[in-house]
Amino acid sequence: MNFELSKDQVELKKSAIRFAQETLNENVIERDRDAVYSRDLLKQCAEFGIQGSAVPARYGGSNLDIFSTMVRMEGLGYGCKDNGLIFAVNGQMWTVQMPILRFGTDEQKDAYLPKLCRGEWIGANSVTEPDAGSDAFGLNTSARLDGDHYVLNGRKTFSTMAPAADVFIVYATVDKRKGFMGVTAFIVERNFPGLRVGRTISKMGLRTAPFAEIHFEDCRVPVKNLLSKEGNGSAIFEDTVEWERACILAGFLGGMERQLEQCIKHAATRKQFGKAIGKNQSVANKIVDMKVRLETARLLLYKVAWTKQTQGKAIMDAAMAKLYVSESWKASCLDAVQIHGGYGYTTEYEVERELRDSIGSTLYSGTSEIQRNIVARFLGL
Amino acid sequence: MTIAQSIERFLLTEVAADFGKTTLDPDADLLEQRIIDSLAILKLVTFLEETCGIKVNDEEIVPENFQSLNSLVKFVEQKQRKS
Repeated sequence: MNFELSKDQVELKKSAIRFAQETLNENVIERDRDAVYSRDLLKQCAEFGIQGSAVPARYGGSNLDIFSTMVRMEGLGYGCKDNGLIFAVNGQMWTVQMPILRFGTDEQKDAYLPKLCRGEWIGANSVTEPDAGSDAFGLNTSARLDGDHYVLNGRKTFSTMAPAADVFIVYATVDKRKGFMGVTAFIVERNFPGLRVGRTISKMGLRTAPFAEIHFEDCRVPVKNLLSKEGNGSAIFEDTVEWERACILAGFLGGMERQLEQCIKHAATRKQFGKAIGKNQSVANKIVDMKVRLETARLLLYKVAWTKQTQGKAIMDAAMAKLYVSESWKASCLDAVQIHGGYGYTTEYEVERELRDSIGSTLYSGTSEIQRNIVARFLGL
Repeated sequence: MTIAQSIERFLLTEVAADFGKTTLDPDADLLEQRIIDSLAILKLVTFLEETCGIKVNDEEIVPENFQSLNSLVKFVEQKQRKS
């Protein structure tokens, strides 16, 4: 067993850190406060090559394997303090680009992937509905074939980056009686008649990646925009979230490492009662726990990459990694606030923002409870 | 044990245990009866790959292949013949 990164992977990580530190960290506090996204920063990420990391060169990507992509995202997370931006980029990469790449026709790949990789277009995923959250496949948005179009009707919510998106991957049912196997995926452009992006919904964290409702009112989608086959939507979604669970968290590994270093520095320099607060066991123990969480989270995530690369599927491993990394990040963010004391509660120290951001990670892409359900099923329970 | 018996036993013991069934109608719609749900399909695919020696592609996870015991058996036999 070899835990060493290759020279290329080390360079990928270093260059992502440099790019992020030099380019992505201006006015994060203000952008978070105002809940605004930056199309310009998303474009700069694309120009650096982030969005196209796992996409073949013929579509404008750099064709990295999953492990190298993960390492690059880890570097991005270390260098970039804007977790919302990282979330937006990942959302597009794994829930829009990846399903088109893995299930799309050549025509669909040619039409959408280059624009998304270049940052000309922003992509968003549209699955959650007001009454279908964790029970994602209990969705009610319908798709009816009418000549050479499908007609979509229904309402979606919590669609990340919908306010800015040019194209959506939309999940709708062609036959509600078939349950999850009625679910079908479509590529829907923002300007298709009958699609309307509704109100932006204010939220606790990840505020630079706004989400919104989407309304489909007799929205006409050409048959050529059907992704794969009718009834294949649940398999596409499961494949998608497996990539998402594996890679979206890599950025937060980087964030955990940056946060750990910040806490060590603070504990070593902040003096109370005539000595550095890190000399108190109650503070040092918190930092040790953060370090252990980081290292164990990294091992779990790297194992997912290895499993996917060698075996193709990593359902239970991805669920365990999602559960553990997100809960670890949340726990470490709470520790970071506590270590910083009153300063940790202030906006200017940027620790409280990370805590707010981290809470989202235990909810999106399947809540911690859903991840436990998946693992329990695989254990025969 | 035939493929049909093997799949039926798996469904009855691992997937549909809560339904209290002892046999499955080969043509019964497993999707409409909610015997196979979105979590069960993950286990079922793993079972088919490990037990029947086939590789189930994501594109093949569609109603025509998973709707009933009969359609499952037909799907597995076709895959085995091709490989």
